[in-house]
Amino acid sequence: MFFEEGLQAAAYIIAAILFILSLGGLKDQETAKRSIWYGIAGMALAVAATVFGPGVQNILVLLVAIAIGAGLGIYIAGQVQMTEMPQLVAALHSFVGLAAVLIGLNAELMLGSVLAMKEAGTSLAEADLTGFGETLWHKNAAEITILRVESFLGIFIGAVTFTGSIVAFGKLSGKMDGKPSQLPGGHLLNAAAAALCIVLGILYFGGAGIWTILLMALVAGFIGYHLINGIGGADMPVVVSMLNSYSGWAAAAIGFTLSNDLLIVTGALVGSSGAILSYIMCKGMNRSFVSVILGGFGGQQQSGGQEIEGEQSPIQADEVTELLEEADSVVIAPGYGMAVAQAQQAVSELTQKLRSKGKTVRFAIHPVAGRMPGHMNVLLAEAKVPYDLVLELEEINDDFSETDVVIIIGANDIVNPSAQEDPNSPIAGMPVLHVWEARHVIVSKRGQGTGYSGIENPLFFRENTRMYYGDAKESVNALLQKL
Amino acid sequence: MKFGVVKESQDSEARVALTPASAQQIQKLGHECLMEAGAGMRADFTDDAYREAGVEIVDTADAVFEQADVIAKVRPPTETEVEKLREGQTLISFFYPAENEALMKKAADKGATLMAMDMVPRISRAQKLDALSSMANIAGYRAVIEAANNFGRFMTGQVTAAGKVPPAQVLVVGTGVAGLAAIGAATSLGAVVKAFDVRPETAEQVESMGAEFLFLDFEDSSDGSGEGGYAKPSSPEFREKQLELFRAQAPEIDIVITTALIPNREAPELWTEDMVQAMKPGSVIVDLAAEKGGNCKMTRKDEKFVTENGVTIIGYTDFPSRMAKQSSSLYATNIRHMLADLTPEKDGKLDHDMEDRVIRDSTIAHGGEVTWPPPKREDPSPKQTQKKSEKPKEKTAEEKRQEEFDAFKRETRQQVGLLALGAIVMLAIGTVAPPSLMSHLIVFALACFVGFQVIWGVAHSLHTPLMAVTNAVSGIIILGALLQVGAGNWLVVILSFVAIAIASINIVGGFLVTRRMLSMFVKS
Repeated sequence: MFFEEGLQAAAYIIAAILFILSLGGLKDQETAKRSIWYGIAGMALAVAATVFGPGVQNILVLLVAIAIGAGLGIYIAGQVQMTEMPQLVAALHSFVGLAAVLIGLNAELMLGSVLAMKEAGTSLAEADLTGFGETLWHKNAAEITILRVESFLGIFIGAVTFTGSIVAFGKLSGKMDGKPSQLPGGHLLNAAAAALCIVLGILYFGGAGIWTILLMALVAGFIGYHLINGIGGADMPVVVSMLNSYSGWAAAAIGFTLSNDLLIVTGALVGSSGAILSYIMCKGMNRSFVSVILGGFGGQQQSGGQEIEGEQSPIQADEVTELLEEADSVVIAPGYGMAVAQAQQAVSELTQKLRSKGKTVRFAIHPVAGRMPGHMNVLLAEAKVPYDLVLELEEINDDFSETDVVIIIGANDIVNPSAQEDPNSPIAGMPVLHVWEARHVIVSKRGQGTGYSGIENPLFFRENTRMYYGDAKESVNALLQKL
Repeated sequence: MKFGVVKESQDSEARVALTPASAQQIQKLGHECLMEAGAGMRADFTDDAYREAGVEIVDTADAVFEQADVIAKVRPPTETEVEKLREGQTLISFFYPAENEALMKKAADKGATLMAMDMVPRISRAQKLDALSSMANIAGYRAVIEAANNFGRFMTGQVTAAGKVPPAQVLVVGTGVAGLAAIGAATSLGAVVKAFDVRPETAEQVESMGAEFLFLDFEDSSDGSGEGGYAKPSSPEFREKQLELFRAQAPEIDIVITTALIPNREAPELWTEDMVQAMKPGSVIVDLAAEKGGNCKMTRKDEKFVTENGVTIIGYTDFPSRMAKQSSSLYATNIRHMLADLTPEKDGKLDHDMEDRVIRDSTIAHGGEVTWPPPKREDPSPKQTQKKSEKPKEKTAEEKRQEEFDAFKRETRQQVGLLALGAIVMLAIGTVAPPSLMSHLIVFALACFVGFQVIWGVAHSLHTPLMAVTNAVSGIIILGALLQVGAGNWLVVILSFVAIAIASINIVGGFLVTRRMLSMFVKS
């Protein structure tokens, strides 16, 4: 045993500080590269201090488990495509949720055996307990109730996170239908399930036995599944960051169960991080968090919104090339369609070509473009687009009026002018990229369909808009050959 | 179909309706091109250049009229040219149908189709074939060049060792396409430019070109813009005010460029004789309205002369022709776009679609009948859209302060409310919970606050890495499983084993993938 109790606590403090620094370092791209090492160092320190600390047995078993997990982790991290980041993140959330459920169950199991030993009159020395077992031994009746509340919360949040993340993973990876769907009863069913959980919890606090908490875990799992299944594809950025937040709260709840401050601190950090991301995403869509959770746009029939008259005028690659040749400043606004078509590499080449001809090329990124916060930035970074060309909505919105050509690649709702002009539109008030102020707008799009929100986009009917139909990747490649 | 171009019959005209570049584009539409020898010479396009572009060169205009299905030229056709037209043949040129009704009738009687480039409707879709605008643009530019050429001083202000030179003062009257082009040319030469127009909504465009718009202090509900964004005649009172404004400017202005035209009317007199008298010797007036009688009545059409008090007045009407190469290439492009509209299938077959608004309005004779003037249509003129975009009323400072104060009060109330609620919840927990829980709660609450502060600073572009790294960090849950794995209960060991394994995936996978992502972010 290398880490005595005091030393372990000190290691935990250092680890907590390193975690905070590693999250704070993400304020810009350069410091981020350094700060990731703080996170790794903090994690290594925390794990080492625990493994070689007091009260840990079966070291061999746990090393095997770590090795298996680490191997899988290395494999996944090496294999994953950048377009698959949203589903990877969702999958990782589900792991945290599942771990929280397992650890919570364990706590209850151990509590049961410790109480049994106490009953049988075994002495502490004879019992041969692990660190956590020993903590349990010293608890009085009130503390045991609190402990049960904590495990209950940990398991509940963990189970919701687990199944919710699996559904999110399925939707993001295309293994499940992205459209919102609910069982009959809708949110009433969720409410009933939540009520059932509370009843089971009260029974459990009263000492009704382990079956209550197992059943509660199943019901909570159902809530997670049903809740996320009712939310549509375009709201995924909110869902992913919400689950991120839940995974943090689950860790914090488990920290309370185990009286481990490092777990509490880290869980709270992650939880608040996810909460802030959800808030930013909701703001990007001008919707309240509750309305996102209670169901997405995707399933609703369009109620408000004006009919649009006029026609969409198509354009061919030659003419697009001509426009680009004549332009001085070009802005590219990518959306989820770029990720679907895997067009980021072609877009990057286009950027290089245009830049080598002395044109200003910039990117306009809407906060909810893509399927998770910052999705577009990562894709463009992967394709080696310099990050200083990639601007946020607020940074670039005023510049559109001085832009010659805007190319929209696979985006729809985030460039819909009716968000600003039509108070009856379902997306009224949502901040959008003011692309229509540019001299020419070219929309690369597969067909004439509407976006995820199902709303017609008057932008496509404007006189300075030209529709460049076709698969995004092929369309951009066609331009590359002609430029 | 064969597309033919003839040499302009007027000696003063140097432009041509076809360039080698436009010929290539026209051939892509499936047409053959035909041209009278030497038609492009005065615009600096040699016959060889045309031949290289695939144009067939024929010796006489008659040959062109004989072979071609569609003929294009710049100026309105002469009597003899109309004589040569045959049934089913199309002629595209400027025509000014209001002035040439007899000719139009004659062509219609012969069964030929006439398309007037000056009748192209002023809608956005037709901008690419709006030859009036492209020619006006050149006229405006050239007017400034002519003025500078006849003006004895620098346009731009300079401070030299030999003394200080003031910039030329330029006044542009009428800010249509020509006026705006003149403003652009004059400001880029360094002159100080003022501009006036009866349509106040053009002020924004004027200011965007770097000139000062002279506003008239006049209460009039109707503004000066008529159909299609052109000016309409103004009331006598308004005119008086306007002249007063110009009179005040006259002594200081070095160069006046007038471009005021009202469709199908004589040009309004805006620069009166007494204003010319008031100008300094050496000043220049360029009257772009000379063709329609001039905005200054002293102007002599097609002539440049110096008045008794030394003011040069230029009344040329052929500014575009003076820059024949430039104007030919723009005009040829306008013609090319017209042909593209006439052959929508790009198969070389003419489809004269009288349902198409652009084609309908431009066609003045078709199928044996005169089809001018075109039917009136509801036209959303540019002025309406401008009115819509008017800015909301500016708030006064007081209103703003009041609003800020209200917002502050609202926020305070909200924050205090939340704090009080939080405090009550905490106190409630404190009354029942054991002290050990409270110490953990302190840690928890502080960590939440630290988290909120830290995460707000994260760049938007790094949100995906943030999620990946928080994924890795939330793998810290592994500690819980580590503490449990040593228990005697085999079930607990198995569950902990699984928990450790999946938490390790999170830790290792999360950190590695974050690192991979971050290393991709490169600066240009």
